Amino acid sequence: MVIRIAAVGDVHLDEDVVGRFRPALEELPECADVLLLAGDLTRHGTEAEARCVAEEFGGLAVPVVTVLGNHDHQCDQVPQVVKVLEDAGITVLEGNGVVLDCAGGRLGIAGVKGFGGGFAGRCASDFGEPEMKAFVRTTTDSADRLGAALRSLDCDMLVALTHYSPVPDTLAGEPLEIYPFLGSYQLGQAIDSAPTALAVHGHAHAGTERGTTPGGVRVRNVAHPVIKQAYSVFHVGDQLDTDQVSPIGQSGSQRSWS
Amino acid sequence: MTHHRDIGAGPPDEYVEAEIQRLLVEDPAVAEQGITVVRRERALVLYGEVESPHRREEILRLVSERFPDVPVTSDIGVIRAQAPTEIEQLP
Repeated sequence: MVIRIAAVGDVHLDEDVVGRFRPALEELPECADVLLLAGDLTRHGTEAEARCVAEEFGGLAVPVVTVLGNHDHQCDQVPQVVKVLEDAGITVLEGNGVVLDCAGGRLGIAGVKGFGGGFAGRCASDFGEPEMKAFVRTTTDSADRLGAALRSLDCDMLVALTHYSPVPDTLAGEPLEIYPFLGSYQLGQAIDSAPTALAVHGHAHAGTERGTTPGGVRVRNVAHPVIKQAYSVFHVGDQLDTDQVSPIGQSGSQRSWS
Repeated sequence: MTHHRDIGAGPPDEYVEAEIQRLLVEDPAVAEQGITVVRRERALVLYGEVESPHRREEILRLVSERFPDVPVTSDIGVIRAQAPTEIEQLP
């Protein structure tokens, strides 16, 4: 069973970017079963910017599943943004999941935006001022909902989609001082609470691509400034064979990275 | 954001650096969190990557408007958006 997953985050669309991704997106049906968007679709989270996202990522020949990012919350228009995206056929996850029938099996995707807090041994605690407790409880609640969503899906392969990072590995390159604003170990703990095959996130523009949770789940940072291409493609499965790797587009390579 | 009074040679560089960083995130015309401000001997250098040439120009315009006396150079790139040429297999 092999499922082909394309993913990108942090595309920060506005009128000045519309059209840049589209030529590459048109090639998606040849190389992927689904496109995951890891949040920060817009610059400020306005309805007008969401329409740019709908224009760029709507009407594709593969299902598109997204979570929102912190930028998508900036103008407090989340309901309007979600409606514009859903009207364009894009599935928006926040504490829930979706199961897609792919050629290689049933792909379950659970998603939350997530939040900060930091990583084991160097993280914020639910203690002290109300503001601090609210910060940490926001993350705890988000991680709890991610874990519950992951465990609830009946599928052949499970993928976790977040904006914030579940591990510090994929933050390498970011200043250590801002790690607590880039993710939380609690998201990793949620991912490890289910038989997750892959976790995809964005948010850390200066981070690196690859990491694993303490439980051994592969994590990929697909923030656009990190991957430096329209999207990354992952073939996930237990019957992979290099001969099965088909070229991507006209200029595709038959060699895998690993 | 705190505004500095003009005293002598102006605010210490570290505050200018902090102000530019916050300006680039908080100004609605820019909203970029991924720009790094680095102090060099002769100028402040802006590093990072943005989604369009227009955004790079906006960043430079904003910084030079707010800090007309601070020499600023830019090494901001526009992120490529081509289709991938390789895949990653995850057994």
